Amino acid sequence: MGLNTEVLKYFNKVTEDPGQEARRWKEETGGKVLGFLLTDVPEELIHAAGFLPFGIYGGEKGMSLADAHLQNWTCSYVRSCLALSLGGRLDFLDGLVIPQRCDATRMVMGIWNNQKPLSFMNNFRPPRQVERPSAKRYYLGELKRFKKELEEYRGLKIADDELKKSIQLYNSNRTLLLKLFDLHRQDSSLLSSRELYNIIRASMIIPREKLKGLLIRLLDTLNYKSPQKTDQKIKIFISGTFLEPLEIADYIEESGGTIVGDDLKNGFRYINGNIPEEGDLLQNLAEGQLRKIPSASFDNSINPRRNFLVNAVQEKRADGFLLLHLKYCEPENFDYYDIQQVLKKAGIPVQKIETEFGDTSLGQLRTRVQAFLEMLGGVELV
Amino acid sequence: MSGKKTFKTAALMKELMKKNYEDGLSAGKSGIPIAWVTAVSPVEIIYAAGLFPYYPENFGATVAARKVADKLSAVAEARGYAHDLCGYARCGIGDAYASEHPVGEIIKPDLLLCCNTQCGSLPKWFEVAGRFYKAPYFLLDAPQIGAEPEELVTNYFLEQLKELIVFLEEVTGKSFDYDRLGEVLYYSNEACRLWNEVLDTAAQRPAPFGFFDACFHMFPIVTMRGTKEAVAYYQVLKDEVEERIKEKNYAIPNERYKIYFDHIPLWPKLRWFSDLFASHDALVAVSQYTHSWAYSFDRTRPLESLAEQYTREFVNRFFNYRIELKLKLMRKYNVDGFVLFSNRSCKPTAIGLYDKRNIINNLTGIPGVVFEADMSDLRFFSEEQILAKLDPFFEQLKFSVKK
Repeated sequence: MGLNTEVLKYFNKVTEDPGQEARRWKEETGGKVLGFLLTDVPEELIHAAGFLPFGIYGGEKGMSLADAHLQNWTCSYVRSCLALSLGGRLDFLDGLVIPQRCDATRMVMGIWNNQKPLSFMNNFRPPRQVERPSAKRYYLGELKRFKKELEEYRGLKIADDELKKSIQLYNSNRTLLLKLFDLHRQDSSLLSSRELYNIIRASMIIPREKLKGLLIRLLDTLNYKSPQKTDQKIKIFISGTFLEPLEIADYIEESGGTIVGDDLKNGFRYINGNIPEEGDLLQNLAEGQLRKIPSASFDNSINPRRNFLVNAVQEKRADGFLLLHLKYCEPENFDYYDIQQVLKKAGIPVQKIETEFGDTSLGQLRTRVQAFLEMLGGVELV
Repeated sequence: MSGKKTFKTAALMKELMKKNYEDGLSAGKSGIPIAWVTAVSPVEIIYAAGLFPYYPENFGATVAARKVADKLSAVAEARGYAHDLCGYARCGIGDAYASEHPVGEIIKPDLLLCCNTQCGSLPKWFEVAGRFYKAPYFLLDAPQIGAEPEELVTNYFLEQLKELIVFLEEVTGKSFDYDRLGEVLYYSNEACRLWNEVLDTAAQRPAPFGFFDACFHMFPIVTMRGTKEAVAYYQVLKDEVEERIKEKNYAIPNERYKIYFDHIPLWPKLRWFSDLFASHDALVAVSQYTHSWAYSFDRTRPLESLAEQYTREFVNRFFNYRIELKLKLMRKYNVDGFVLFSNRSCKPTAIGLYDKRNIINNLTGIPGVVFEADMSDLRFFSEEQILAKLDPFFEQLKFSVKK
C-alpha cells in the first residue's frame, strides 16, 4: 500500500542484509563497528567516539547454532543474536555492548566472549530501579565508566563538542522518526505499519548522518502527498518486547487494521525521548534514560506501565490492544496479567499472542491476528 | 538424609522450622511488620529495624520438596504466568490466588525487600506480590561485577542501604538501631563461620557430611542468619559432625569419589539423587550453592561491609569469576568429577553451563556433565534423560580416578 519510493526500497535493502551496510561503512571510513543488543544503550557516546553503533536485531535462520551454548528455554532474541555471531554473520563487528536488562542479557556475554571474542566487549548496566536519587548518581557513574572505556579503546578522549554533535544528530533522527510515526498514524496509506517498523529497524544500522538525510528525503516525499483523509482502519496498539516477526504488521493491515502506537524496545521506546543539548551532557543522558517510558526491566511495584498503557491507548484512540509475548521473556511475562486486568477494566479489548525468533509458525500467528481484528471489526458494526 | 543414619540434629531442625513459621504468624498478629526478603540480601538490616524477615524462596523450596509445585503453579499459569518462569515465583504467585494451600499459606508481607544479585525473577515476583498484597516494595539494585570489586557498585549499594534505612524508619516509625545491627552482624558472622566449618568436613576422605546433608541443614543459615538460634543450631550440628568423625560414621557407606555439584538441588528428588550418587560410591561434597553463605562482616564499619560482601557474592559476578570459584571449590575438596544442573527455574546459574563444562573439563581433565531439569517442577523431570547423562559420567569416573 505504501509509496514505493527509492528511500523505502533502500530501507528494505538494509534490513534484508544489515551486514552489507556496516561493511560498506567500514571500507569507506576505516572505522570500527560496535554491535549492541537492543536497547537502552547510550548510542550517543559510541557515536561520539567515532564508532558505528550497530543494533543487532536477531535473525530467523540458523538458530540451532546456539543450541550447544544456550538452552532452548532461553530468550529466543538472545539465542538468535548469538547464533548470528556463531554463524559468521556478524564478522564485521569490532565490538559488542550488551545492556543488562534481564537474566539472559546479564549472562550471555561470557559465552559470547568464549566463542567469538572481540576487541571491545562491554556489559552496560543501567540501574534497575529508576526512582530513588541513588539511581541517577549511579547511572552517571556507569556512563562515565563506559565513556572512559570507549576512550581507551579509541585512544583518544571524547570531546564535549563531539558528544554534543552526536546528541544533536540523535535528537534530529528521533524527531524525524516520530514525525514519520505521526504521518503513519494519520494516514497509513502513506506509510504502512510494516514500512514504519522496518525503518526503525534500519535506523539502528545505517550510519546516523546518512540516516538523517534519508529520513528527511522520505518525509519530503510523504509531506508532499499529505494530508489525506483520516484513517478509517481498526486502530491497534501493540505492546511487549519486540515486533517480531515483522509479518505481524502485515497481518494487522490485511485484516483492515493499522498500528497506532506501541511501547516496544524496537519501537516507541527507542525513538522517543530527546536529550537536552545544553549543560552537563552526561547528566542529561542519565536523566534521559531514567525518564524513558515504563518498561518491565526498569519498573517498580506500582507498575506505572499499566496506567501508561491505558493512557496511551486512549490518547491514540486505539480500538484494540495486542500483547506480543516474546516467549521466555521473563520480565515481560511477570507484567502481563496485571496489564491485562487494568486494560479490561478500562474497557479495552486485549489479545495476547506468543511470538518467538526463529521457528514461528506464521500461519498460526496470522490466524490469531485475523481473529482478533475480526472481533474488533464486529464490535464496530454493532 | 543420606546413608541410613539420620542426624540427631534433624529433629531439632524440624522444631526450628516449625517455630520459625509460627513466629512469623504471631509476629503479624502482634504488630511486628513482616518483611519479605530474598536469600542473598542484607537481612541483618531487617532484624536491626525490628521486623520479622520471611523468605518466600523457602516457601518455594518447601512446596517443591513436598512435590506439590505443579498444583500451585497451575493457579499462576491459569493467569498467564508461563511455565518457563522461575518455579518458586510461580508457586508463590499461585499461592496468593489459590483457595487451597497444600503446605500452609505463604505469610503475607507488610513490606518487601528484594536484592537482585541472585536473578531477575525475584524482583518481578516481588513486584507482583507488592501489588497483590498492597505492600511497599524496595529494590536493592546490584549491577553485576567482574573479577575486581568496583567502587562504583559498592557505593551505589551503600547509598541504597541508607535509603533502605530511611524507608524502614518511615514504615516502623522508629529510628534505626545501630547497636542492634552490630549484635546481628555478630550472630551472622558466627553462624557463617560454624556453617562453613561443617561444610569443610566434606573434604575429609571419607567424609561425615556432604552436599545433600547440607541441603537439609541449610534452612537456618539462609532464613535465620543474624539470630542467636542459628548460631546455637550450627554449634549443635558441628558437635554432632565431630562426633560422627570419631565414630567413623560417614555420609555414604563406601566413599570412593568426591563430586562437585552446581547449584540448587532438585528438591522433589533430593532422596533419589542422594541414593543414586551413593549407589555409585560418589559423595557430592561441595557446591557453590551451599557455600554462598560465608560472610564475615566488619562490625566497625557495618554498612560498608554489608555493601561490599553482598555485592561481591558470586551470584553478582560475571562468567569468568564463576568458573574460577568452581575451580577453587573443586580444588579445595579435591573432587573427581563435577555435575552441573541446568535448572530452567534458575536462569542465571544455568545460562553458560555448557561452555563452563567444556572450559573446566579442558583445564582440569576431570569428567563433568550437564543435565536438564527444574528445581521444583517435576513436569520437567525425566529420570531416563538424566540417567542417560549420569550413567556414562559414573563410568568415566571409574576410569579417570587413579587409585
